[in-house]
Amino acid sequence: MLNIDCLHSAYIRGANILKNLSFHIKPGELVAVMGRNGMGKTTLVKTIIGLMPYLSGDIRFLEEKILGRKSYEISNLGVAYVPQGREIFKDFTVEQNLLLGVLGKKKKVSDFDLAYQHFPILAERRKQLAGTMSGGQQQQLAIARAIIGKPKLLLLDEPSEGIQPNIVHEIAATLKQISATESLTILLIEQNLELVTRLVDRVDFIENGQIVHSVDVKIIHEDPELVARFMSV
Amino acid sequence: MEIILTIGLDALCYILTLLLVSIGLVIIFGLMNVVNMAHGEFFLLGAYSVVLVQKFGGPFWLAMIVGFVAVAIVGLIVEVLVVSRIYHRALDTILATWGVSLVIKQAIIIFFGPASQQVVTPFQAPAHFFGLVYPSYRLFIMLISVMISLCTFIILYRTNLGLMVRGVIANRHMSGCLGLNTQRIDRLTFALGSGLAGLAGVIMAPLMSVDPQMGLGFFLPGFLSVLVGGAGSPLGALWGAGLVGGGTSIIAAIKTPVVSQIIVFSMAMVVIRIFPNGILGRNR
Repeated sequence: MLNIDCLHSAYIRGANILKNLSFHIKPGELVAVMGRNGMGKTTLVKTIIGLMPYLSGDIRFLEEKILGRKSYEISNLGVAYVPQGREIFKDFTVEQNLLLGVLGKKKKVSDFDLAYQHFPILAERRKQLAGTMSGGQQQQLAIARAIIGKPKLLLLDEPSEGIQPNIVHEIAATLKQISATESLTILLIEQNLELVTRLVDRVDFIENGQIVHSVDVKIIHEDPELVARFMSV
Repeated sequence: MEIILTIGLDALCYILTLLLVSIGLVIIFGLMNVVNMAHGEFFLLGAYSVVLVQKFGGPFWLAMIVGFVAVAIVGLIVEVLVVSRIYHRALDTILATWGVSLVIKQAIIIFFGPASQQVVTPFQAPAHFFGLVYPSYRLFIMLISVMISLCTFIILYRTNLGLMVRGVIANRHMSGCLGLNTQRIDRLTFALGSGLAGLAGVIMAPLMSVDPQMGLGFFLPGFLSVLVGGAGSPLGALWGAGLVGGGTSIIAAIKTPVVSQIIVFSMAMVVIRIFPNGILGRNR
């Protein structure tokens, strides 16, 4: 579904963040990319969605080349993005935030009922200004806004950041359910093992801009030292 | 009594014309954060489109359409060539659009000459009401200004298009990631703001001396209104236009226009000092 080959990317020439990175996701797979800070996790998702300059390489989504294309085109192909820090529209209502997830799509397929069904708190607060909600609710809104346009691939960048553990569990369960019913593929960038082990099937570790190790999530349960090796400072 | 009524109507007329001029500014400066120094020249182009249309014997309503469309297209060209490259550098927009303003002003002088042009006023018969005789064209201006302001507010705050425009302004990157073609929406917004400046120029042309310097006379109080009212909020423009416009014309009626300018500008400075984000402005 998503095929990244030999990707190099850098903010400044000569100081590469991603170095010859290759990474693949099959349809329906739930994959987490884990790694220490500054290893290129966020750069990876930002490059996929078209927010980062790149040097060379290839990214294909459903066999179509997306590297170098504009964010709105990539979004319209079926890639949705929940950024770090959520970036919801704080001065707009919940409903308007969700609407903005639909208005840009060429095929205006949307399912407000389904989004509200998955995140009932948003239905209660549809007329409330998004900025006045709690962090967990804003995160749910950011996810709902991403899935309402019926994407095929969802990119999640640290969705558990600054959110209560019980909400994190709730989000994991909801995402798992959406993935199953809507055949949604998920790429999760995360440091929080709770969310990773509850949601994904496979964990890839990133180090110095390269995927260095890829394991089934079951291995993570059995071998906690593995995580320590790639995550501890 | 009649004098008070006339002063009141004059003040209202000036407030509403200022509002008309400010609406384009609210969109381009207040919402898009572009300090468009060429805004006065967009106004100027609107006024000259009346001259051109009337030269070919066209009616006034045609000039309104031509003024809006032509200046919107000019705005679109300016956006594509200049402004789209410097959205993230607010200060540089001043220099770049100032250059654009010089080009437009000189182009007008080349085509029409530096002298002022004659414009025929529509609705010349004065209106009689409450025992008062008042120029009917001024009443027309008030009506048009209210209508255009209402339309703009409705488009911005009650339609999906307006939601997209405000979304792109609030967060350009994220809007793009949600599938919105941000470049196209920027262009549309800038063109709309420019077109409104042009339309204001068309409507004001019959009341003013149409010459290459006329843009400045409305550009400054317009900017001041937006700053006083609060740049981030279109409703602020109403406040700003009310205070600046009302103050200017009432004091001018009692004292002289020079005194009123001095008082209003000083008051505006005090207001901006106390409310740096404008009266209705929020921290941005």
